[in-house]
Amino acid sequence: MNNRLKVLRAERNWSQADLAEQLGVSRQTVNALETGRYDPSLPLAFKIARVFDQPIESIFSE
Amino acid sequence: MASVKRTLIVQTVIGAVALLVTVFIAAVVVGFLDAKGAGVGAAPATFWIMAAFAVAAMLGGFVVGARWMQSIDEAAREAHKSAWYWGGSAGMSVGGVVVILASLEQAATVSIPSFLPGRTDPAAYAATGAFAMLLIMLAGYAIVWAWWWLSRSRG
Repeated sequence: MNNRLKVLRAERNWSQADLAEQLGVSRQTVNALETGRYDPSLPLAFKIARVFDQPIESIFSE
Repeated sequence: MASVKRTLIVQTVIGAVALLVTVFIAAVVVGFLDAKGAGVGAAPATFWIMAAFAVAAMLGGFVVGARWMQSIDEAAREAHKSAWYWGGSAGMSVGGVVVILASLEQAATVSIPSFLPGRTDPAAYAATGAFAMLLIMLAGYAIVWAWWWLSRSRG
């Protein structure tokens, strides 16, 4: 699964640690999400969508 | 999340120290009573103190482990689950080969060092076997856990 996490984070000038704090996960987890090697659970995907104020389908794609 | 982990680490250290202090005090009391000839046998008392220590230490370890798993995020939990199944199973397979080979008659002549220094009784060898299996499974666990994170840290 692909995602736009890195782009969205860069647009907001957030570090991985900033995003991790808002999501309540570790920086390593944010890194794993951004590399596309780890797919988040549905609750975490919804949380990501809320943090970026965007629908899930605009952040994640197959 | 970080504060939960910090609290857990502090509680674990306090718990471990409290347990060791309790064991030390119990040993001193038993030694004192035994020297006074109060009818307290040092050997059976040592057994029961160590049994209580072992149960408390393992129970405490289990509780700390459970709380640690609850405090980490979902990716970290996935890494542990993966390490538990793949690493633990692979380690158990390696240990299983040793167990099968040990059951052969030829193994009767092999000299195996005991985990407990100076002891070669059946209980010492049972502990050695269990400890060896634990180490092999832990090695598999550690390798898969490290691989899980390394493979997900590069783009």
